[in-house]
Amino acid sequence: MQRRSLGLLAAAFIAAPLLSATSAQAQPVPVGAIEILSGPAAAYGIAIKAGLELALDEINQKGVLGGRKIALTVEDSAGNKDQAINAARKLIGRDKVIAIIGPTLSNEMFAVGPVTNERRVPTLGTSTTASGITDIGQYIFRTSLPESDVIPVTLKTATARGVKTIALMYANDDAFSKSGFDVMKAAAEKAGLNIVTIESFGSKDADFSAQLTKIKSLKPDAVGISALVEPVSGVLLQARQLGFGKETLFIGGNGSNSPKLGAIAGAAADGLIVGSPWFIAKETDGNPAFVAAFRAKYSKDPDQFAAQAYDAMKIMAAAIDRAGAADSEKVTAALAKTDFKGVMGPFQFTDHRDPATAAGVVVLTMQDGKFGIAK
Amino acid sequence: MSMPVWLDDVLWTYQTLIHDLGINGLLALSMYVVLAAGQLSLGQAAFMGLGAYSGALLTMKAGLPFWLVLPGSCVAPVVFALAIGVPTLRLSGVYLAIATIGLGEVLRSVYLNVDYVGGALGLNGIPERAETWMIFGLLGLATAGLFLVGRSRFGRAMEAMREDAMAASAMGINVARYHLMALVTSAVLAGLSGCLAAHESSFIGPNEYGFEPAVTILSFALLGGIGNPFAPVAGAWFLTLLPELMRDLPDIRLALNGVIIVLAVLFLPRGLLGWRMKRAAVGRGA
Amino acid sequence: MLAQQLVNGVLLGATYALFALGFTLMFGVLRVINLTYGFYFSAGAFIALALTTHVGLGVALALPMGAIGAGLIAVALDSLLLPRLRHRRSAELDSLMVTLGAVLALYAAMTAWLGPDIRRFPPGLIGAEAWEWLGVRVTQAQVLILVASFVLVSLLIALMSFTRLGLAIRAVAEKPDAAGLMGINVARTSRVVSFLSGALAGAGGVLIGLNFNAIQPYMGESMMLRGFVVIIVGGMGDSRGALIAGLMLGVIEVLTAGYVASGLKEAVAFAILVAVLWTRPQGLFGRAVGQRA
Repeated sequence: MQRRSLGLLAAAFIAAPLLSATSAQAQPVPVGAIEILSGPAAAYGIAIKAGLELALDEINQKGVLGGRKIALTVEDSAGNKDQAINAARKLIGRDKVIAIIGPTLSNEMFAVGPVTNERRVPTLGTSTTASGITDIGQYIFRTSLPESDVIPVTLKTATARGVKTIALMYANDDAFSKSGFDVMKAAAEKAGLNIVTIESFGSKDADFSAQLTKIKSLKPDAVGISALVEPVSGVLLQARQLGFGKETLFIGGNGSNSPKLGAIAGAAADGLIVGSPWFIAKETDGNPAFVAAFRAKYSKDPDQFAAQAYDAMKIMAAAIDRAGAADSEKVTAALAKTDFKGVMGPFQFTDHRDPATAAGVVVLTMQDGKFGIAK
Repeated sequence: MSMPVWLDDVLWTYQTLIHDLGINGLLALSMYVVLAAGQLSLGQAAFMGLGAYSGALLTMKAGLPFWLVLPGSCVAPVVFALAIGVPTLRLSGVYLAIATIGLGEVLRSVYLNVDYVGGALGLNGIPERAETWMIFGLLGLATAGLFLVGRSRFGRAMEAMREDAMAASAMGINVARYHLMALVTSAVLAGLSGCLAAHESSFIGPNEYGFEPAVTILSFALLGGIGNPFAPVAGAWFLTLLPELMRDLPDIRLALNGVIIVLAVLFLPRGLLGWRMKRAAVGRGA
Repeated sequence: MLAQQLVNGVLLGATYALFALGFTLMFGVLRVINLTYGFYFSAGAFIALALTTHVGLGVALALPMGAIGAGLIAVALDSLLLPRLRHRRSAELDSLMVTLGAVLALYAAMTAWLGPDIRRFPPGLIGAEAWEWLGVRVTQAQVLILVASFVLVSLLIALMSFTRLGLAIRAVAEKPDAAGLMGINVARTSRVVSFLSGALAGAGGVLIGLNFNAIQPYMGESMMLRGFVVIIVGGMGDSRGALIAGLMLGVIEVLTAGYVASGLKEAVAFAILVAVLWTRPQGLFGRAVGQRA
């Protein structure tokens, strides 16, 4: 009896390391994501999460590092900076993720970035477009094109149409909008446009009549608006009420890049142009398949945020594969060497971990509630 | 003797939460002080913002060491507390409440429009100077201090004012002076918590000190009760930990705060832990 | 440009005045700072939205029905929250806190049910035509609001001055206990006041929602802060004060934005609030406020 149990024990001792070796091989690779899933800005975070999970499904069919699945843990920051920091600490300290995707807003990245950077966890922003994001630290990357790359392209279309004078409006209580305005102003000056006036408003304002009346009296060729989609819609609606017609070109920043613009502003948004790194009929290799798969899974159309997240997840998976191990340092080094073709087009990082090229930017125009390519 | 790795990990993972417990405790106390004197001020968030901004500016632009920055950050809150408090003293309590809401909004406009304080982008890169022992040390001191005050004749006067200000005034208590003192104390506590919070999370913005945080602070105090200083701190801890325990539910924090305030005012005027303070007897039976 | 800006200011001010009417009524009569008022504002707009979108009603019917709906909701909620506080010594503060808590929960519930998105009335509900005289441009919706504000204020004043109900309301406002002794059913009168206040809020919500063509659960909240300024500057409890203060605030805001700096537009309202509290807290028409506990 004793010999048998000794034998069993011995067998167990020999088998155990073998078992743990195989289970280590099958152990999923933990990756974290922090997005806004509740509260007023949830539309962006939910779209991003949808994009991430669609990509995850496709990635996990083959897995990474020889068959290991990626386990994605998504934490909700609710748009709250403290909650975002909390989420980052939990993902790193408790879930031991090797990399983090997100957070959604530039504001949150400024708070979260220092924390993850200190712990040397590569952090990949997909929707953060303010300036200075990648200055936070050498583990902070982003795939989202900063406004400073997109807006000059949009303005080129405007000047090609003969625009010479412009009025600028922006929401002054939101970091993204203010940052976008700084870029618009600099780009307008560089393009040789004459800025007739600069007006600001609050993101939650409903009345822009004072600012719009002043602008109308100055008769600029174009009006640039840097704000999130809801205030932009409000401005457009009131502008039409005050008599702005087709002779004034409205130019939007990244906040206008949302299907909600057509939903809220309706016909008032017709004719607005905005630069975007992606739109639904873009003819890159993976895009039609991506759009079809997204529609199949979620029964609605993807937007720019979902598309960027989809690519980002795949970029991360590719980096993990290239790193050869589920190790944060190696993944960071591998990310820097990314050379990827996605639904957004070809993608690489600069030395400063920003997107290397703005070649994929298209200028869109809104007509009848839908975006199409601007001429 | 260094800490075991797992403990170190846990502390790091939950550091923000732990610090929040301390900071929210201080905020709850700042609310307690005015409520205990029978006033309603919704200015704690505004004072917190003043403390945060002045603390951050003192550290980043003036380069002062933290032990100077902490008290320095209380100057602006006190100045504004006096500016708001003095004119509203002779008015009914509702005016103070509305004036403090107004103050918060005016300050927000200032933060947004003045580039020196960062405008809409806020202040970034504040060095992490607030340590756990500082936060909880101050919390302990404040709680102990308020406890001692509560047991003294000041505390008796405040309770009298809270129950019936006219009668208290008839008994010779200078209601206006106590109200002002309470408001200033509340500003100091809120200012300190703002300064600590700024040096803990490295980034502050103009939209963080408005109406919603003010209401949250109110709910801390109302939940715990205002019979003694431990109660509001307990209320703060409960409400800070609650979202952690309810992670899978959508963000109903604000709704929950609202319901708590309604229930507390209607049914629990003394809060959950509303025991009164025992005081040293004066003469026969107090 | 000045003419158009003045018109803009008057129109904006009319929206503020409209919003403040019911709010100041509640305070003047029942001594309640009723923060749930903002919710009734949103509720009225959503009721009208539902009626126009799903039932196909026109504005002429949707507006009063939205108002009535909001009024009924107001009676129900106020009866739930306020009676208990009526006899407390710190009734004003307690009512502020209770209605504050309630409105937060209500907004959150409404957002959870209806989603935070901005919605619009079906297009073509109000003619989009605008009139243009001497360089000033005004739309139909804006004229509607202006007219409605004046009409509602006049109706309210007439009600209070010339009807028995108005007399009962004024009696309760003056001294509830004495009014009760004189045979006035104080509880019922309070409910009527709640209804009126809620209905005014609801009407305001529909009209303002039409003007800006943006309806979302929190629309009441952004008006609320302006509402405080208007009722304090106008004098708490005074309808004429609400109208005049509302118009003044609108004009000052617009002129500041148009001629000084648009970034200061928001701050102006609160700067005025703080200034008034410092110098003449009873506002334009309010009763002199003495030392209260």
